Amino acid sequence: MSLEVQTRQIDNGVTVVAPTGRLDVAGAPALKDAIGEAVKSEKPRVVIDLEGVSFVDSTGLGSVISALKQIRSSQGDLRLAAPNQQVRVVLELTTLDRVFPYYATVEEALTGF
Amino acid sequence: MASHSKPFEFNATLSHLDEGLDTLHESIKKLRQSTGRGEDDRNLMHFEIALAEIGANVLTHGRPSGTDPPVEYRLWMEDDTAHALFVDGGPAVEEVLLRAMPDPTSEEGRGLPMARWLLDDLLYKRDGEVNRWRLVKRL
Repeated sequence: MSLEVQTRQIDNGVTVVAPTGRLDVAGAPALKDAIGEAVKSEKPRVVIDLEGVSFVDSTGLGSVISALKQIRSSQGDLRLAAPNQQVRVVLELTTLDRVFPYYATVEEALTGF
Repeated sequence: MASHSKPFEFNATLSHLDEGLDTLHESIKKLRQSTGRGEDDRNLMHFEIALAEIGANVLTHGRPSGTDPPVEYRLWMEDDTAHALFVDGGPAVEEVLLRAMPDPTSEEGRGLPMARWLLDDLLYKRDGEVNRWRLVKRL
């Protein structure tokens, strides 16, 4: 099952990246490619919409951390939205929920961004 | 009248990363159906996370040339406990098992520590030219 990633621009300049499928060692490269495109703008603001992500593993998490570093080095920021229960378990287990506060919906993530 | 249904068991050989991971998740889906557990069953979720981490490790590092023999995989239940076994022909990995969970901002290195934390037992044995991984979790 490969990871498919759709990207869309919001009116306020935020990029929403929406992966669908498993964000794991097989799918992580697709997310990295999509983030690579999104950070080409100055001070990128990116929301990763996780609603379509059925499962995440440590490599998938690593790709999200890589994205955060890449975006912050460009003076931008990254937010996570709509993780399912399994994704929340992994974020909490690895204490990444302290690095990445996550939002219940994309709309909440976009508020004040 | 006593029930004598056959205990759950799933066997496969895994050759490629993507299809191998598909097989692992499919085996958990079958286990979930067989045991009547819901999608939100915490212990089975934890077991699946650990299984995917070890499985990804084995499929990535256990077949270094990509043409090595396939990985043997077995999943089964004993009473209320889930067991999984991987047998791969990759190099020995003893020192990797001792690594602690890395810094939260690290991009890698958290898979095996996560699996150890989530399982009741993660057993590794170098057996001649193969690695044997045994995952155990009471559901």
